[in-house]
Amino acid sequence: MNPAPIISVRDLKVHFPIRKGLLGRVRDHVRAVDGVSFDLYPGRTLAIVGESGSGKSTTGYAVMGMEEPTSGQVLINGKDRAHMSPAERHAVTRQLQLVFQDPASALNPRMKVRHCIAEPLEIHGIGNTASRAKRVRDLLDLVGLPESALDRLPREFSGGQKQRIVIARALALNPKVIICDEAVSALDVSIQSQILNLLMDLQARLGLAYLFISHDLSVVRHISDDIAVMHRGRVVEAGPTDQLFAQTRDPYTRQLLAAVPQARPR
Amino acid sequence: MTAPPVLSVRDLRIEIAGQPVVDGVTFDIAAGETLAVVGESGCGKSMGALGIMRLLPDVAHQTAGQIMLEGTRIDTLPERGMNRLRGARIGMIFQEPVASLDPLMPVGKQIAEALAMDATIPPAQVKARILDMLERVGIDRPDLRARQFPFELSGGMCQRIMIAMTMIRRPVLLIADEPTTALDVTIQKQILELMAEMRRETGAAVLLITHDMGVVAESADRVAVMYAGRVVETGPVAQVFARPRHPYTTMLLRTIPRLDGARKVALPAIAGAVPDIRNWPEGCRFNTRCPLATAQCRQDVPPLENAGTPGHASACWNRDRIETELAP
Repeated sequence: MNPAPIISVRDLKVHFPIRKGLLGRVRDHVRAVDGVSFDLYPGRTLAIVGESGSGKSTTGYAVMGMEEPTSGQVLINGKDRAHMSPAERHAVTRQLQLVFQDPASALNPRMKVRHCIAEPLEIHGIGNTASRAKRVRDLLDLVGLPESALDRLPREFSGGQKQRIVIARALALNPKVIICDEAVSALDVSIQSQILNLLMDLQARLGLAYLFISHDLSVVRHISDDIAVMHRGRVVEAGPTDQLFAQTRDPYTRQLLAAVPQARPR
Repeated sequence: MTAPPVLSVRDLRIEIAGQPVVDGVTFDIAAGETLAVVGESGCGKSMGALGIMRLLPDVAHQTAGQIMLEGTRIDTLPERGMNRLRGARIGMIFQEPVASLDPLMPVGKQIAEALAMDATIPPAQVKARILDMLERVGIDRPDLRARQFPFELSGGMCQRIMIAMTMIRRPVLLIADEPTTALDVTIQKQILELMAEMRRETGAAVLLITHDMGVVAESADRVAVMYAGRVVETGPVAQVFARPRHPYTTMLLRTIPRLDGARKVALPAIAGAVPDIRNWPEGCRFNTRCPLATAQCRQDVPPLENAGTPGHASACWNRDRIETELAP
């Protein structure tokens, strides 16, 4: 039997108004997300793949609560985010964490690594100074960074190491879901595979669910259990990753797949 | 006698504050041929391209080597002479097409400006040539597009405009620095196809700078793999991909997730990170991440030597151990 989904999105729409003229009247809408539904299960990876403007990031923001849905529901543990009390919303933020594309801009350049990682614990008032310090060391170890990193600044690290710091911070609150928005796209290829391996390893150890937003079909095929292909705000094709790649039904998905340059000479 | 290569780079060395960022790079590109220079950030591939065009930032200087265009040295030319080559003989396109265009000028007028650099063409013909060029780079409704500004066009369309603007002057050498990196994959495919078409049509030599092994496989004839300022392997694309003769190339090709590979398994990663330019190791610069490294690798720089088949060379003391000891 399947466990209950941790996140369910039902007919989600996020429309942005286009204002024109002197009075700024709303003349039209950009239908960034236009009727998207999916389920994310504990311990699994659902990839949302699409090109720029497909609405994949906006979908992620709506799940995160950073973008108000125009209509439709985002259910977290079966509960509609729109109907949550402030306390419930606060509790939910601990379960959902976000990792972005550019680790350099996700870290405060003047904050030492130990504070970068401890900040979520402080904000949520978890533990005391000593227990937080221990948690930070454990997190560093979990993401494969040496303890000597603690008192250094983000700029002293390479791009891949910075992304490890961001991941450690995202894990601080023991989340159940991590939304990865192009989390490996800015990294060099030799570093990209290290971070993908880390994400897969963390999933196996901690039972995390990933909502993995990416434009890269090869990466998505490697890491995901299920895929939703987005195009112009809609899911054009969805299903288990192995099935979808074995047999694509949607013409847009097929076109997308055919365009991926393969590291194999013709 | 055969014609000299369109571009010939010999032992090029570029330094920033006494540190070599490009360290003894040598390659040739023949007419009608595409050479891809591939590598990770900081390997010197873009600095090399800027060095060839003599557009290095103020802190960087060429300190050794020669650059020859159709047999004539260009790295010693006075700035005025070099200026005449840029655009006319050497075309350039970059990663950010929108940033490469003048935001305040209709794109047709920008192409007209490029065209007017070479010769005086009667105004009546200018328009026809521009519209013809726009059509050839796959812009529909060229008449309308020519009057539009870059912000009104998509990134892919702006890159087409850049290609039109560059190729209308029929350069013998086209330098393309990550021309499709900022574009979606479906647009990338179209732009790579367009570049191949332009190359066939004009017989230009193409220097393609990229980080993407997929792009290399799909659009280059030969490849030069750079690591920490040096070319570590070079050869025909088919040979280098089928039988890489440097551990870095071998491992790089294996670490990329593939559309036909195993899923959800640990990728064969390359440990560590690209060394910082201030701490480049002695000897072979890959020795800190290489599972085959020996004492010799930490001491002596391996020369770029023939690696079996003609035109295929690698810089590795242990290339004979790759196939047995780096087996997947």
